[in-house]
Amino acid sequence: MLKKLYLVFGIGVIGLYSLGSWFGWELANSGRNSRLGTPFFFSGGYRGGK
Amino acid sequence: MSFLQANCPSCAAQIEFKSGSSIVIVCPFCRSAVARTDRALEDLGKVAEIMQSQSPLRVGLHGMWNNQRFELTGRAQIRHQLGGVWDEWYATFGNGWVGWLAEAQGKFYLTFYQPLPQGTQIPSFTDLQLGQNIPQIPAKSPLMVAEKGVAASIAAEGEIPYKLVPNEQSEYADLAGKGGVFGTIDYGMTPPFVFIGQEVTLAELGWADMKPAERKAPKVAAAGIGCPNCGGPLSLQEPDSSERVTCPNCDSLLDVNQGKLTWLKALKPKPDAEQFALQIGAKGTFADGKEMTILGAVVRSVLVEGIKYYWHEYLLYNPAIGFRWLVQSDNHWSFVEPVNVADVVGMGSTADFNGKTFKLFQDAPATVEYVKGEFYWRVEQGETVRAIDYVKAPLMLSNEMSADEMNFSLGTYMTTAEVEKAFNLEEPLPKPWNVAPNQPFTGSFYYTWGFAFVGILFLIALLMIPFGGFSSTPLNQSLTLQPLPNATGSNPAFSQPFELKGNRNIRITMDAPVNNSWASFDVDLVNEANNEVESVPIDIEFYSGVDGGESWSEGSRNQDVSLSSVPAGKYVLRVDGQWQNWQQPLPVTVKVEQNISRGMNFCCAFVLLLIFPLVSIIRKWLFESNRWSESMFSTSGSDDDSDSYDSSNDENAFGDQEHIQTIFDKKKI
Repeated sequence: MLKKLYLVFGIGVIGLYSLGSWFGWELANSGRNSRLGTPFFFSGGYRGGK
Repeated sequence: MSFLQANCPSCAAQIEFKSGSSIVIVCPFCRSAVARTDRALEDLGKVAEIMQSQSPLRVGLHGMWNNQRFELTGRAQIRHQLGGVWDEWYATFGNGWVGWLAEAQGKFYLTFYQPLPQGTQIPSFTDLQLGQNIPQIPAKSPLMVAEKGVAASIAAEGEIPYKLVPNEQSEYADLAGKGGVFGTIDYGMTPPFVFIGQEVTLAELGWADMKPAERKAPKVAAAGIGCPNCGGPLSLQEPDSSERVTCPNCDSLLDVNQGKLTWLKALKPKPDAEQFALQIGAKGTFADGKEMTILGAVVRSVLVEGIKYYWHEYLLYNPAIGFRWLVQSDNHWSFVEPVNVADVVGMGSTADFNGKTFKLFQDAPATVEYVKGEFYWRVEQGETVRAIDYVKAPLMLSNEMSADEMNFSLGTYMTTAEVEKAFNLEEPLPKPWNVAPNQPFTGSFYYTWGFAFVGILFLIALLMIPFGGFSSTPLNQSLTLQPLPNATGSNPAFSQPFELKGNRNIRITMDAPVNNSWASFDVDLVNEANNEVESVPIDIEFYSGVDGGESWSEGSRNQDVSLSSVPAGKYVLRVDGQWQNWQQPLPVTVKVEQNISRGMNFCCAFVLLLIFPLVSIIRKWLFESNRWSESMFSTSGSDDDSDSYDSSNDENAFGDQEHIQTIFDKKKI
């Protein structure tokens, strides 16, 4: 059971990475003052017009 | 076929020699061994009746070997000096050949007389040493001495192709070569006779469908014998092959001689000898589907650095395949099968068998501490052999060496669940502790697959370069932000419109010529089609100066942020912000790039995928450390190197015989 879960985990990580690469998703902001910890679904989400 | 008919010199009954190669016939009426000579028949004495056996063979059976038909015309039962009994069948071929088919412990060896070239000298019995190569004897593969002993013919039937004298003892040596090549030197003749052949299966002899002879296991108590010490009943599973049995009532060790029991001694269980987990007589079904019965159980020990370590061994038997062992040590289990001595190469720090290299784990005298049940040899409390173990999990290659015999066996690790299933146990077996010498590490799945995932990750990352395209710069423009109405005011500027493609990440870089000041921007990526905004903050600060004659700087005049992809379309940048010198205009440069190689996603995936394999490798390292901490030859635990030896340059598996013997003598308890 654990082995199956691990396979699902590994395939999931690779799948997410592949999707992210293909669709241009970024996990977090970067720059010299890195904003690590800001997941892509926050930085990439639309917040409506200003 | 021409028959020689005559009268038995003992009982005058009519006997007939059917085979021209027969020298002796056993009179079926009075059991006299009658030899034919040039002049008359000679009575060699009476032989015992053949002991009941589950052998599938019988006199008169026809078989086929190398496209030659043969008939089993005679049989003798030979008793080893240490008590074991084996059968020899005599195969008379239609072309005149005579083959010796030995049957021992479920194995069959077909050999033929091998005349040696004139002048060939083979070592005398006393000069012969275990493991010694005998290059004088031509064979398919080099032969080495695997066993030497003294044996006597105790029973016979049919026609025998040599002068069988009942109970006459003769010396012999068994030879083994690679690929099942087998030989025997019979020192009962002068000069010694040599027989060469190989291990064969019943199928190779044309008896593929043959099954063991059906017979009931006789209950000795039912015959009114019982234990000669306490009179209690006991039953023998294999009376024809058993030499020792223990009484379950009074714990006596009894000698078995064709069903007759003789009291030998009272067994003294060691105080730390544990109860046996499996019962004598229990039947288990193993991987090959063969059902095996537990005939006996032994507690053995090994003395290492003054500490005795105990383990249990169960003797298993199936008439079709012979004897096997089930070993229980620290509640770890191994199924043990015999292997051909000559198939093991090298016996130094490693040994090779069947294409695998095994590492030396232990080399110590193993002593029988306690026995229960019945055994095919004359087991004794205190019986000691030199035991050398090599491991390659889940296998363990073991060599047990006494003064006259060497045996190799191969143990395969079994989980407790497999043993419970094999014996259909209702109560669970005790949980194992420590790491067994041949216990396989079960976590290799995680690092195998973990590294496979990492490899796939690299592959996908490489593939994404050509498939995803290269980076582009849709916008690179200089803007001037006009002075603010107040320090917190707003005076945005807009870039020229630019095209962004979908499914590509975005990097916005701002460059502002701040000097010992700061600027804080809100940069909005505005979709011209629907005015949807993606907003990011960018802070820039740069300070520099000279302190103590050394110049310093802090911060940077440019910063960048990365964004996930946005829908394809035309966009403008709206740049607003505050800066320290808000009364003055601030020229800035903005750059928008797409499809940048950033690596953050890759690093995160890489770290995530590496966690499990790294943890598994650490676990494996700890597992192997535990395993080898129990070894006499571990780098951490082998303080006494005097016990080790290296015979890697030796020509045969047993190395320097004199050296081995010295070690054996030294280790005898």
